[in-house]
Amino acid sequence: MARILTSRRAALTPLLLLLPAIATMLFVVALPLVFSLWTSFTPYRLTRPDTLYDVIGLRNYIRLMSDAAFWVAFGRTVLFLAIALNVEFLLGLGIALLINRITWGQRGLRTIMMFPMMFSPILVGFQFKFIFNDNIGILNNALQSLGLTDQAIPWLVDARLAMFSIIFAEVWMSTSVFAILLLAGLFAMPRDPLEAAKVDGCNAWQVFRHIMLPFLMPFAFIAMTIRSLDVARAYDIVAVMTGGGPAGRTELLWTLIARVGYDNARMGQANAMAYVSTLLSVLFTWYFFRKLVAARRYMGGAQ
Amino acid sequence: MAGITLRNLVKAYGRVRVVHGIDLDIGNHEFVVLVGPSGCGKSTTLRMIAGLEEITSGEIRIGGRLVNDLPPRKRNIAMVFQNYALYPHMTVRDNLGFGLKIAGQPKEVVAARVQEAADILGLAQLLDRTPAELSGGQRQRVAMGRAIVRHPDAFLFDEPLSNLDAKLRGQMRAEIKKLHQKVNNTVVYVTHDQVEAMTLADRIVIMRDGHIEQTGTPMEVFNRPANIFVAGFIGSPPMNQLPCSAEAGGLRLADGTVLPVPARLAGKVRPGAALILGVRPDDISPEGSGLLATGEGAMVRLTVDIAEPLGMESLLYSRLAGQEVQSKVFGPRLVSPGEVLDCRIALDRAHLFDAATGRSLEAA
Amino acid sequence: MTRDLRRQLKAAALWLTAFLLMVVMCVPGLWVVLSAFRPNREILAKPPVWLPEQLTLDNFAKIFGFGADQVAIPVAAYFWNSMVIALTSTVIALAIGTAGGYAFARFRFRFKNAVFLGLMLFRAVPGIALSLPVFILWSRLGLIDAQLGLIIVYVALNVPFTAWLIDGFFRQIPEQLSEAAQVDGCTRWQAFWRIEFPLARSGIAAAGVFAFLTSWNEFALASQLTRSTDSKTLPVGLMDFTAQFTIDWAGMCAMAVIIIVPALILTFLVQKHLISGLTFGGVKG
Ligand SMILES: Nc1ncnc2c1ncn2[C@@H]1O[C@H](COP(=O)(O)OP(=O)(O)OP(=O)(O)O)[C@@H](O)[C@H]1O
Ligand SMILES: [Mg+2]
Repeated sequence: MARILTSRRAALTPLLLLLPAIATMLFVVALPLVFSLWTSFTPYRLTRPDTLYDVIGLRNYIRLMSDAAFWVAFGRTVLFLAIALNVEFLLGLGIALLINRITWGQRGLRTIMMFPMMFSPILVGFQFKFIFNDNIGILNNALQSLGLTDQAIPWLVDARLAMFSIIFAEVWMSTSVFAILLLAGLFAMPRDPLEAAKVDGCNAWQVFRHIMLPFLMPFAFIAMTIRSLDVARAYDIVAVMTGGGPAGRTELLWTLIARVGYDNARMGQANAMAYVSTLLSVLFTWYFFRKLVAARRYMGGAQ
Repeated sequence: MAGITLRNLVKAYGRVRVVHGIDLDIGNHEFVVLVGPSGCGKSTTLRMIAGLEEITSGEIRIGGRLVNDLPPRKRNIAMVFQNYALYPHMTVRDNLGFGLKIAGQPKEVVAARVQEAADILGLAQLLDRTPAELSGGQRQRVAMGRAIVRHPDAFLFDEPLSNLDAKLRGQMRAEIKKLHQKVNNTVVYVTHDQVEAMTLADRIVIMRDGHIEQTGTPMEVFNRPANIFVAGFIGSPPMNQLPCSAEAGGLRLADGTVLPVPARLAGKVRPGAALILGVRPDDISPEGSGLLATGEGAMVRLTVDIAEPLGMESLLYSRLAGQEVQSKVFGPRLVSPGEVLDCRIALDRAHLFDAATGRSLEAA
Repeated sequence: MTRDLRRQLKAAALWLTAFLLMVVMCVPGLWVVLSAFRPNREILAKPPVWLPEQLTLDNFAKIFGFGADQVAIPVAAYFWNSMVIALTSTVIALAIGTAGGYAFARFRFRFKNAVFLGLMLFRAVPGIALSLPVFILWSRLGLIDAQLGLIIVYVALNVPFTAWLIDGFFRQIPEQLSEAAQVDGCTRWQAFWRIEFPLARSGIAAAGVFAFLTSWNEFALASQLTRSTDSKTLPVGLMDFTAQFTIDWAGMCAMAVIIIVPALILTFLVQKHLISGLTFGGVKG
């Protein structure tokens, strides 16, 4: 009898330890999500509380399906993420390889590299709004002083340039995550396989492609997983830099949700959109986490 | 000081059983070594004794006290781990005194006992270092010191020497032996190194797949292995195992060679039985270069495939009855491959096992 | 000779790249910091004034409400709110995350991976998407425009990642240490506090910094859940500098400095542990 009790207790310990974490997430995330799922089936408006009990089924979602603005924003968000993450990965890899080769002053470089990570996204937004400002921004001032252009380039007004600017800001903020983790990967890389490959006659590219890159991938996946947890932080940047404008030309899913939900007070509709964006983030996280687990298993075999 | 008793001890992880009902009595002051191949459940057994692993069923008694449900701290045992498990953030002194401090011993007692242990193990100079500043052998000593300061009922060692290089291992082995003679505690020692087992143990327990295969003094398990597994596991190089069948005239090997039945086992061989003849390499030697005098044992003719000279002796790999056998040449005599040697087999030290069950005929 | 030359060229190229990199990494931030110490008229000057003629603390004085022409932005209150909210939520998230991380690192139990993944996926819900329902629920609970409301949300935001990091730190500590301590006479609880916790302490501190930064910098949720000086945090306060068509750049830059400096200090204190925790927790399954 006593034995059964102790073994029950042993099985219960981890659950007790995790209970606060689980409870917090259920209360702050799951419960609101259930609630917002409900509202996404209603025409709920903040200004008219009674609409909360007015079930209209899938109408919000159906409206969404035929809402061109939504789909454009959706597509733009996916494009934004695809470009930003790939650029961040490649840049991060480049930076990591570069810093790994620099011996003198490496610590300093590494520290500087972490600099953007501690910036609040909202601050990054303002910072680049300041820098890309067509009138007083340092970028236009510099270009004009150097005589590269004689007129103010409308960085945040022209649709393409605005998109470029927000991606630039996003990349500036988040490349460090990749660079730092990949650099940690490079530091942790065992020397033997590299040397063995060189002895086997691999050239520099082959060594990189077949030895280093596979070893670095788990680190890249950690970075991807971490990034995927808060890709939506880009909302802060965009909200400040362009607010989705001009005329909706940099509208991302997240700015659209804010506009529909808070500015237009159409909570039901906004929640339906929010569900789509949540799904996007969750799938993204899930995908990279699976990749990470798989890569980890494969690394475990190698060690 | 206390003995340890295991009764029908079972460990299962989920549905997988890894220890299948072990019975073992360890006497007071006895040095018992658990050996066996990797994964056979030695560590699991030891950790159950320590209370680090819950037992699935059965009984563990330490000094007569049932400890099944007691946490490790109430069992009054000490354990030395394979990678020492020294507390990295404490000095050697604090590592040694930690257990006493936790037990609420007064400072002077802690200091005195730490000093005593440090003196026994030659750690006096190292007391203010941290584990990171110690060599492997020194860490090993600290781990042992941590065990002895508490004057526990029993010491548990889990492969304590496997992280040391060969030379240091030999040295530490001797120190453990000395330590046991000095403090004279009950010891349960896990290893998969049979040399350690043979040299340290009062009694060896050979395990396989969660079962005990044989228990006995080193000489008993060496001289009278209970089955083929033990015969193959204890002794290096391992015992040669030659399949044969019993007939009226003796034992017929696969190629038709007939050897006489060892006199010791004469009454136990049933004609027609499928058997395995076990002979240690030391017991097969060329005429005049072995342990046997002329005229003793049985003669076989071997063709040498490979000879490994080891100085004062050589190990020979040759073929007998279509099977590779190892044998030894004593004395600094060079043997070259291809040489044909007339060898003597010390049949009175040979063993016979039932081919089907693997059990020694001696036991039957 | 030529080989030597080539090697030197290569080294020079490497350095040039690194230098450019540093410029791109630092200049945007430094420009903002520099502007914080310049008068607004210099910032807006056409043609641009590259090197400041004089540095001034006027912008800071202004936003803190000293001096002649004040900006009516209660920065001190925002700073206080940010500190209270970030610190409180960090401490709570650390406690919860440490318990969770320890459970992940030290116990086998059913649905372990599922629980872990579940926590991560909950964390992945975009702030702005979460803010809609939380806004409505919090209004009913009276948690809008209250420090507590934001603290609760930030705890949830930080728990999964904190648990992940701390899991990694505990895994770097061999399990045998706790076992040895238990054999030495400790309860599991004592073994944790005397052995495992001290060894993981720097890692836990790093996780704390990460959590602090997340709370300190968060905007999407804070902007919806706060209204007044009772709870508005610095990132939300930053918005006060924007009017319909104009932005008070000088004031904003000064406020940016106020936001950055604590973050900067904290990060550099723990950067080493941060990296080791991330990689270890991630790579060793
Ligand atoms: N936590 C666990 N869950 C499931 N199986 C386990 C667990 N721990 C050990 N085992 C299994 O139990 C068996 C016995 O393990 P144990 O560690 O006792 O072996 P061992 O004899 O000490 O081996 P070694 O010489 O390699 O240390 C092994 O087959 C192992 O795979
Ligand atoms: Mg073991």
